[in-house]
Formats: sequence, C-alpha cells, structure tokens
Amino acid sequence: MSLLARTYNIFSFLGYYADTFLTYLIDSIIFLLAAAIAIILTIYFFRKYMARVQLRIGPNRVGKFGTLQLIADALKLMGKESILPKERDDFPYKVAPILVFAGLMVAFSLLPFGSFFWVGNVVISNSEVGIILLFAVLAIMPIGEMLAGISSHNKYALTGALRSVAKDISFEVPMMISVLAIVVMASARTPSSLTIGSVVSTEILPYGILQPLGLFVFYIAMIARASYTPFDMGESESELVSGYSTEYSGMRFGLFYVGMFGSILLGSFIISLFYLGGYNGPYEWNLGLIYLLIKTVIVVVISFTVWLSMPRIRIDKFVNLGWKYLFPISVFNLVLAGFLTLYLGW
Amino acid sequence: MDVKEPGRRIPLVGSLEGVLTVLKHAVMKPVTVQYPEEQAYTPERFRFRIFLNLDDCVGCTLCEQVCPNKSIVMEKVNRENPRNKRMIYPDVNFGTCTVCRNCEEICPTDAIYLTHVFETSRTKNSFLYSPEELAKQEGEVIK
Repeated sequence: MSLLARTYNIFSFLGYYADTFLTYLIDSIIFLLAAAIAIILTIYFFRKYMARVQLRIGPNRVGKFGTLQLIADALKLMGKESILPKERDDFPYKVAPILVFAGLMVAFSLLPFGSFFWVGNVVISNSEVGIILLFAVLAIMPIGEMLAGISSHNKYALTGALRSVAKDISFEVPMMISVLAIVVMASARTPSSLTIGSVVSTEILPYGILQPLGLFVFYIAMIARASYTPFDMGESESELVSGYSTEYSGMRFGLFYVGMFGSILLGSFIISLFYLGGYNGPYEWNLGLIYLLIKTVIVVVISFTVWLSMPRIRIDKFVNLGWKYLFPISVFNLVLAGFLTLYLGW
Repeated sequence: MDVKEPGRRIPLVGSLEGVLTVLKHAVMKPVTVQYPEEQAYTPERFRFRIFLNLDDCVGCTLCEQVCPNKSIVMEKVNRENPRNKRMIYPDVNFGTCTVCRNCEEICPTDAIYLTHVFETSRTKNSFLYSPEELAKQEGEVIK
C-alpha cells in the first residue's frame, strides 16, 4: 500500500472530493518538507566535503558539527533586504526565482522513491505519462534562468542568460535521445504504460550496465542541467560576477541557490532511477527507499568530486561537445539499444 | 636553448588525475587550527611581545635610537631608581613594531627583551604600551 492510499483511507469518511483534496494537500506538504530537508542536507554535505577537499574544517560553530549552519543561513537570507534594480522588468524579474524553485519541486514530486517498511510505497504522483512529464517539468527551470537574466537589465546577467540558453539547447537533445534508448528497452519488457515506476521495475539488470554510453551522456547532461563546474557557463562567477543571478539578493537569490543544489540532488535521483536500478536491491525487505538513497548519495559524491576538480570549459567548446560528440554518441546508443532489444532480446 | 614541445596528451587523463587528487585530499586531515581552543604551532625561537625590567633600565635611549620605525619613544615615569637618574623609560607601540629585535640586542643592561608571548589583542584602538605595562605580564595589562 502506498503513502497516498494510506492517507486516502484515513480521510475516507469525508467523502470523495474532500478526501482527494486533503490527501493530496497533506502528502504534498509532507513531501515538500522532506524535499527541503534533503536539499539542506545536500548543501551541508557539500560544504563539509568542499572544506575537507581544501584541507579546511568547514562549518562547525552553529550547532553540533555545524549542522544548524544552513538553517542560520536560510534565516539570514530571509531577513536580508531584497534590493531591486531600478530598470528591471518587474513581473519576470519577480517570477523567475519562483519558476526555478517550483519547477524543481514539481520535478521532485514526480519521482517514485520506492517502498519503506510500514509506510509503503513512497510516491506522490503516479502519472501515466511520468517520463515525458518529468522532462517537460525539467525544461521549466531554464526558462526561469533566462527570464532572470533578461529582466535584470544588466549586461552580466544577460550574457549569463545567453550562455545558459546556448548550453541548454546543446545538451537537451542528447539527453532526450539517451532517455529514448531507455524507453526502447523498457517498452519491450513491460506491457503496461511507461510510468517511471514501471521503467524502474524492468531493471533486473540496471540500464547503466546495458547502456554505458547512455549513462555517460545522461550524466554530462545532468551536470549541465544543474549547471555546476565544469559546465556553469550560466553563472561563470569569475567573469560574469554571478551570471543570471547577479541582480538578485535576499531570499530571491536563495531560491536560485536552492534550485542549483536541488537540481544536483534531482539529477542524482534520476540517474539512480533510470541507470543504476533505482529502488531495486538484493533483498525484498521493503528497503527500496534505502537502496535508492544509497545510490543517490554515491552519485552526489561523484558529482561533487567532479565539481571540485574541474575548471569551467568555454561555452563554444561546450556547444561543440554537445553537438559533435554527445549527439552522435547518444544516437549510436539508441541504435545499439534497439539492436540489443530486437535481436538479442536483452 | 631548446624548448621542448609538450607531447600530445590523451584526452580526459588530466581531468581524471584532478578527480583523483580531489579524492585523495578528501581523506587527508585538515590543516586548520581552531585558534582559541587549540594553539597554533609557533617555532621555539619565535619572539613578539617586548618586556621591560624597570629596575635594570638605565634610560640610555639606545633602544629609541636603534628602533628602525620609531616604535620606541622614551617617556618620563616618576619612579625611584638610582641607576636611572633622568627617570625615562621606553614606551613601545606594538602597532608598528616589526620585531627586528634591535632593541634587545643593543640594550647594555638587558633590561628590554622579547618573549614568546604573542597574544596582544586589545579592545582599545591603540597598541601603545607604557613602561609600566611593559613590565607587567600580558594578562595583567588593562586592554
């Protein structure tokens, strides 16, 4: 029984409409809190990890081992004045950070997180068109970044937004083609409609082993999606001050910051779900969530290591990489996936 | 002189080396010292705080003359000392002291000397130490 059905049963005495409304409301609140806590933990972990790589100690004053540092930072950001540029384009300027954050949260809510002991299947939305919806929602965040860059009326922000757009159009096509390769394999294995859950349930052998090229392309695309080094052209902090978020301050900047770390976490979840077997594990003890979290944490550590070890590559080189290397590789991967599925029946 | 052309490197190998370095550093011990709780290492011969033995000082003004940036100024102190008839003693400004140790070297009676103490932070906006303050331990000086 899933979390959704459990909540539904609790409120069943209220009748159909009130029950459905309350179920989705309460589950969304629980889920938002969980996602916010997960993102805060990711940021804390990143700061500690970066400190250790740079032979520092990292946050260690607020709370035991600095665990409350992020709460303190969030409170500080909320309390700060939000300075607005005079010649801004008001509506897009204000809606941009919300778009980034909302897109991230909606994308989180579409993922299945596996089962967890007595709670049952932790899933908020089990859409019939899960995969398409997920990647459609993922495309909302770049729009927020673009709006932020253009509406700020600032040359650095505009340049950052332009780079961001150039980056997005060069990695999204290879990303979608490598996802298509997974759909090809999964649809041959299951008769049901392709929700993300049914794709994960077909992974007896993880798709990362069957399609290493697809994993490679998708991982690079996820780095570019979250826009951290080596692919942080939208931000380019050493040249463009802070890229598209230059003119933002206070909690509006905080939303961009959370959006960035959230998309690292989200990318790690998506990679573990699609390529590393998701919540499938060796024992069937309702430990799906734990398996998924372990895989995700490993991917997050790899992502942070990549972040901390590489310099930013130039935007034209990234466009070259996207269209001349990633695109052919992903097409080859798609053909290979079709071949494996049709002729070898893997 | 021959300049050696760099050989053609295999792509991604350099990046992977960087990743390995990062992973190696992640398991090393941090070098940060959390100062007030634990003391940073200072070498045995490290010197900073100047002390003055008021009974030994003869008021010869050599330390004032030898000080390269005028951190030492002689000051009159009402104090009975048969060896110091003019009753003048050095007054040190630690804000400009470069710890050159010339004063310690030139002092004929070894009255002025530098010690290992370096915690001289103060709340008032002046690093001037009067002769009486120079004679006290660091903890007794009103800061």
